[in-house]
Amino acid sequence: MSVRLDGMVIRLEGECRVEEAEPLLALLQEAAGREVDLGAAGPLHTAVVQVLFALRPRIRAIPGDAFTARWLLPLFGVKEGQQE
Amino acid sequence: MSELLDQFLAEGQELVEAASEHLLALEREPGDRASLDGAFRAVHTLKGAAALFDLSPMERALHAAEDLLDALRGGRVPVGRAALDPLLALIGASEDWIAAIARTGMLPEVAVAQGGALEQALRAAETTPVGGPTASAATPPDWLPDLMTAEAAAIAAAQAAGHRLVALRYEPAPDCFFMGDDPLALVRAVPGLVALRLLPRTPWPETGPEPFTCNLVIELLSTAAEAELRPVFRLVADQVAMLALAAMPAAPAGPGAEPVGRSLRVDAARVDALLDLVGELIVAKNGLAALVPQAAVADPRLGQALAEQQAGIDRLAQALHRTVMGVRMIPLARTFRRMPRLVREAAAALGKPVALELRGEAVEADRAIVDGLFDPLLHLLRNAIDHGIEAPAARIAAGKPEIGRITLEARREGEGIVVEVADDGRGLDPTRLRQVARERGLLPEPALAGLSDEAALQLVFRPGFSTAAAVTTLSGRGVGMDAVRAAVEALGGRVTLATRQGAGTTLRLLLPGGAAVTTLLLVRLGDEVYGVPVEAVAETARIPAGHILPLHGGEAFVLRDRTVPLLRLAALLGLPAGPRGAGVPVLVIGTGEARVAVEVDGFAGRAEVLLRPPTGLLATMPGLLGAALLGDGRVHVVLDLPGLIG
Repeated sequence: MSVRLDGMVIRLEGECRVEEAEPLLALLQEAAGREVDLGAAGPLHTAVVQVLFALRPRIRAIPGDAFTARWLLPLFGVKEGQQE
Repeated sequence: MSELLDQFLAEGQELVEAASEHLLALEREPGDRASLDGAFRAVHTLKGAAALFDLSPMERALHAAEDLLDALRGGRVPVGRAALDPLLALIGASEDWIAAIARTGMLPEVAVAQGGALEQALRAAETTPVGGPTASAATPPDWLPDLMTAEAAAIAAAQAAGHRLVALRYEPAPDCFFMGDDPLALVRAVPGLVALRLLPRTPWPETGPEPFTCNLVIELLSTAAEAELRPVFRLVADQVAMLALAAMPAAPAGPGAEPVGRSLRVDAARVDALLDLVGELIVAKNGLAALVPQAAVADPRLGQALAEQQAGIDRLAQALHRTVMGVRMIPLARTFRRMPRLVREAAAALGKPVALELRGEAVEADRAIVDGLFDPLLHLLRNAIDHGIEAPAARIAAGKPEIGRITLEARREGEGIVVEVADDGRGLDPTRLRQVARERGLLPEPALAGLSDEAALQLVFRPGFSTAAAVTTLSGRGVGMDAVRAAVEALGGRVTLATRQGAGTTLRLLLPGGAAVTTLLLVRLGDEVYGVPVEAVAETARIPAGHILPLHGGEAFVLRDRTVPLLRLAALLGLPAGPRGAGVPVLVIGTGEARVAVEVDGFAGRAEVLLRPPTGLLATMPGLLGAALLGDGRVHVVLDLPGLIG
């Protein structure tokens, strides 16, 4: 179980596989304003990245995975013309 | 010739070089926007200059080239050989035309037909539509400019650090997740990643992304070579496009956008005039040195003060000399940069793919050396392609890369410079060289058989030698390695050769960094003073007239128990001989058995001069090294005594 809801925060933990994309999408669409904590997340599958990239939730904590922190985090920034 | 035309000739040559350089870069990197813009600017400027001088065939062809380059810039015509070949041909022709104008003041007659044919070829290339048979890999992909703009900062940083970048676009198949692919896992494995971008392949649906459909496009830049990236994406190669970037294509395109160095164009003749003045200063300084001992005899304190002043002037004159010599120094790039296009032509003519690498273009040498290297280097490069590099099939059979590799490299070494032409071809075979020399009768059989392998290699420098079974049209064009050696020696350099059979040949040219001051021994003959370089003189002597004996219709004397033939300088120069005094001044030249003495009327001291090579009528006279202008305005003829004696 590596996608977990903790109050308003969705925590991704460990290696996130392709099957984690659907629950993550569901949790983000269920309620607006939920944040995602990548601090304990390992490598993210492309399908998971796609969800984060398309919906652009606020990301909490520096991702524990170096590749995610260096290369993917900047891509999850706030969408143009869609502050907050 | 008018100043304006002079300027056109100098700039024209530079523009031709710039255009050729940009076009060759474009051939290597068809997506390189900066090179395309650079080539356009150079051709545009050259066309404008040609229009000023009513060189209409040249102007019309350049106009067609400009239109073609504009079509390439607009993407209406693909960048490929169909367009680059006629462009490079025109640039080559323009170079020849400019050289002809410099010689004769006008375009050669062939330029009309040649220019017309090139114009036609260029117009034909302009009508080749994108998507034609040559379009394929040559067209810059439409996704590239966007990526370049978005990642301009990363590109600038990487290129500033000296990295070459490869742009890669990976469009994973929409159903790739079902196939078990994880596209970003591949990206994690990319070496030298400097930028990464994700884009939606199609706009996201209102309802959010389909979690099991990949709607992402991945674009990235890496410092790794294409060959390193390909294995990473080998299983999804059909979904990946990549392209090497040459330079910063985001740079502004307008004319005049190139950075302008803070430099001043000065006519070379003015620099030479300055150098002459410095030479005279050195001579005057030497005259002052001669006065110091005389002054010291008359007044020791005045002598001391004069000596100190003289030392100061000596230092300043030398510093001034070095500085002015420095002005004449130019980078070898001026000659090196003309080579890639000519090598490409030669390689194409012989059907041998060749990669030419230039190194050390920034090394500087005296202008005369840089210009004088053009012909010998071109010959060496053509030789390397023709005789060194094997045919592609032979290279593959020998386990070598199909593309031959030639390096043209310059570096400083001590006071001088070294220029090397190295190929990775078949190398020279001493046995074969001996055989060729035998067939051509260059050396008698016993001498040939006695040659070491090392000495046999030197046979290539003999006049009349060519290693090709048949003299090809290319490198056998009237000049051989002997001409190369003569040209390099005329620049004050020498040539050495190293070869490893099967592995390649390296020609090394050792050259002086700058032209040097020559010390002359001045000799008097009647009312004239002639100069002889001191290196040519073994010793000077005064022989009692009574010791001169007639010998075989000539004269001789005995010097340290050996008979030395005596020649009179007047006779060598075809002048009437003056009366002979009691003590006969002679210059002894040569050593051992080859010693010869030359009788003069008197010695007139030494002088440090800048030797100017003979020009005009004098150039055709044997036995002349040139002329030297002294501070008093007199011109001294400088004699080549060994040459005069023959």
